[in-house]
Amino acid sequence: MNKYRKWAVMVAMTVVPLTLAACSNDQNATVNPNKLKPSYSAQGSSDSKANQGTLKLAEVNNSPFAGISSPTLSTNAEDSDVFSPGGEQPGSVNSLFKTDSDYKIIDGGMANQRIDRNRQTVTITLRKNAKWSNGSPVTAKDIEYPYEIIANPNTKSQQYSSDFENIKGMADYHAGTAKTISGIEMPEGENGKKVVIHVDRVTPSMQYAGNSFIWGSVEPYAYIKDVPIDKLTSAPQIRKKPIFTGPYKLDSMVQGESTSWSPNKYYYGKQAKIKHINIQVVSSNNIAAALKAKKYDFTLGGLGANNYPDVAKLKDYKITGNPGNSYNYFGFNLGHMDPKTNQQVTDPNMKMSNKKLRQAMMYAIDVNTPAKKFGHGLTARGNTLIPPIFKDVHDKNIKGYSFDQKKAEKLLDEAGYKKKGKWRTQPNGKPLEINFGVMQSSKTVEATMDSYVQNWRKIGLNVKYAGGKPMEMNSFYEALQAPKQDEMDIYAASWSVGSEPTPTQLYGADAAYNMGHFSTPENTKLLNSLNNEQSWNKNYRKQQYSKWQRYMNDQAAYVPETYRTDWVPVNSKLKNYNSDAANNQFWSNLEFTK
Amino acid sequence: MWKTILRRFLIMIPELIILSMLVFLLAKAMPGDPFLGSINPKSSPQQIHHLMQANGLYDPWYQQYWNWVVHLFHGDLGMSYEYKEPVVGLIQQRGLNTLWLALFTMIMTYMIALPLGVYAGKHEGKWQDNLVRVYTYVTMAIPFFVVLVLGIWIFGYLFNLFPTAGSISPTATGFGTVISRLTHIILPGLLGALFGTVNIVQYLRSEVIDAKHSAYVKTAKSKGIPMKDIYRHHIFRNSLLPIAAFSGYSITGLLAGSIFTEMVFSYPGMGLLFLNAVNYRDYTVITALVLLYGFLNLLGTLISDVVLAVIDPRIRVE
Repeated sequence: MNKYRKWAVMVAMTVVPLTLAACSNDQNATVNPNKLKPSYSAQGSSDSKANQGTLKLAEVNNSPFAGISSPTLSTNAEDSDVFSPGGEQPGSVNSLFKTDSDYKIIDGGMANQRIDRNRQTVTITLRKNAKWSNGSPVTAKDIEYPYEIIANPNTKSQQYSSDFENIKGMADYHAGTAKTISGIEMPEGENGKKVVIHVDRVTPSMQYAGNSFIWGSVEPYAYIKDVPIDKLTSAPQIRKKPIFTGPYKLDSMVQGESTSWSPNKYYYGKQAKIKHINIQVVSSNNIAAALKAKKYDFTLGGLGANNYPDVAKLKDYKITGNPGNSYNYFGFNLGHMDPKTNQQVTDPNMKMSNKKLRQAMMYAIDVNTPAKKFGHGLTARGNTLIPPIFKDVHDKNIKGYSFDQKKAEKLLDEAGYKKKGKWRTQPNGKPLEINFGVMQSSKTVEATMDSYVQNWRKIGLNVKYAGGKPMEMNSFYEALQAPKQDEMDIYAASWSVGSEPTPTQLYGADAAYNMGHFSTPENTKLLNSLNNEQSWNKNYRKQQYSKWQRYMNDQAAYVPETYRTDWVPVNSKLKNYNSDAANNQFWSNLEFTK
Repeated sequence: MWKTILRRFLIMIPELIILSMLVFLLAKAMPGDPFLGSINPKSSPQQIHHLMQANGLYDPWYQQYWNWVVHLFHGDLGMSYEYKEPVVGLIQQRGLNTLWLALFTMIMTYMIALPLGVYAGKHEGKWQDNLVRVYTYVTMAIPFFVVLVLGIWIFGYLFNLFPTAGSISPTATGFGTVISRLTHIILPGLLGALFGTVNIVQYLRSEVIDAKHSAYVKTAKSKGIPMKDIYRHHIFRNSLLPIAAFSGYSITGLLAGSIFTEMVFSYPGMGLLFLNAVNYRDYTVITALVLLYGFLNLLGTLISDVVLAVIDPRIRVE
């Protein structure tokens, strides 16, 4: 559930010498992503002998994993993948809550949550039989301790944000002026089962897993209490012999390479059927060949679309899929950030300030053709800034910017960007040169970016790469994160999203990641309405999300480029594979068939 | 002799100081910082700012450098930002993996290259010589990553003879760990050795040919010493000189790791560690590694000189 991806880095990693996929002859296979289902289940009867054996999984990644088992301290998706049999779903470790398909917290997990809008409290109650894999019970203190780790002044955790200061006493604890967090109450004592969190304001987003106010996992306080918080990341309790609350316990681990698991007899839920799990890091260059050799039963960590044609034709695997938790987007440089107030300020006199110019640029590019060619149907043009993984609030009726160069030219003519010779000029007659910032990436991504530049040049817009060529990832973000920059007028980047859709941290007036500096009263009003009193009502919330998406679509300050479908090949002998968010018995349900 | 070695050691000190300063400055001059890679909607800029401050990354470079030097003398190279554990421990883990692989590769390389070089030299101009020459040129001409990818595909996946990822099986225990380690390095090690012989073979071959026509060999022949003994006692020993000169440098190679091999075989060694450290701006790891490589290089040169002096009395420095 708490999926944090080093997305910015992943996109920029280009050191891929040669992939075995290149051995294939059919590179044109495409898939209709709507036909990919998150689940697969073999029909045969269960194979008790195979279930006594080992489920072999590949974590597809080009570098060793860091090996931090604690979800509070880990900062990358690889760690949450390789330790996930200790949790209930791939990518989640020691999670408190069960959710529905929309990541809304529901009863039935390790703990239940009650939000009291009158008393402004959130109460978390653990089930009585919740235990760690060493047999000791999960306690109220285990729910509270992550907050201490996150907010401790000496912490190595990167999770603290001002949202946590909604919890009473959190700011004082973070500043080091209080020894405890006064707003987190344990009415039955540290060893009890109940925690009451007092907040300044409960918000509707607290109903969803992965929100930025309520932490969603536990830490084994009794097991790690002797380690000072600033030493936790390198402590053996976290690195070598961690304990978990999920259906499997860790038997052994080779640092950076692999983890090996067997069923945890103390798990509160259904006992796991398969006796062993091994997870091994496999380079993305080899994964297609490894699957062909039947080395793994399914993959974790995401496969590139370039592998699809090779893997899809393997008879021993069935392809499953989910809407991806990331999207690529374009941003326009529209202002600056005021370093005194940390507020984004939109400046009306920027090169890209004219809305029609921005809209024209988005109509002018053909996103679908390269997406189809390189993405094999697994990437497609995005229509709104809320990706389809958020089924309940993504507005699929918004058209977005489909390829229409005539419309683009009309918009430019209307706005006064007239052609003088080869290029169009600004309405005031001055030449118009647009700098397009992109990151170094794979050949296919760079070819796609090249094709956009050609699209723009075709309608008379003099677009050039900022700095003359794709930028190295660090330089790109360093330039973009400056309070004011004039290197890039438009840029292409990506975001990964968590499991809670609120977009305020990316596009709000005080959001540091609003790197195009787009801020209007209307935007602020709409963003606030996503989590106001009324939005406890599901329909109102949905309607406001829709309004915000429409508004952003019209403003074209940020425009989605593509969405991704995450796909996983699953051994066709496996039963009950289901990666839907609602399946919190993911590991326990798996079994082999004959 | 000892004086020479001592003198060389003393010269290393200022060299290392200058190297460390350069590395430190260059690492800091790269755009970005260790936390840039982890920006995502859920990581807060305030906390990243706080961590930058807590890690002293906003201090002027000389202050950071001084702190680093002080820690260095306490045996503390800092914490890796990316892996969040002490750099010393990290280098130990990865270094050991790389060492085993490189040692195996080196031994295999010499075992293949030495006999081949002598054999080719001995049969100069004949078909045997040509055969060896074709072998070395072919292995030199094929890019190494192609060899690796084909190798893992054929022997790892197609015939399933060797493990294809990692340095050891997660379930190995006791003596099994040694066996498991060995099976994991055989394939990459052998590929490295089979395709890395060209330098040694060619050097050795031309040295053998030179020696064959030298006066001392003629003398030995005229004295009636059997050819076998001439090769063993005279030619081989003299021909080893240039190879011995390289031996010191292979020490650096032992710990540098190979990015291609490590990537294709998902083998966590020093090459990947260094590459990732640069990508993620993991300053502590970058500086530690460059300094280590620098030190090993200097040490390697020294060893080469010493070895040469031992083998060849003519070049001993007084």
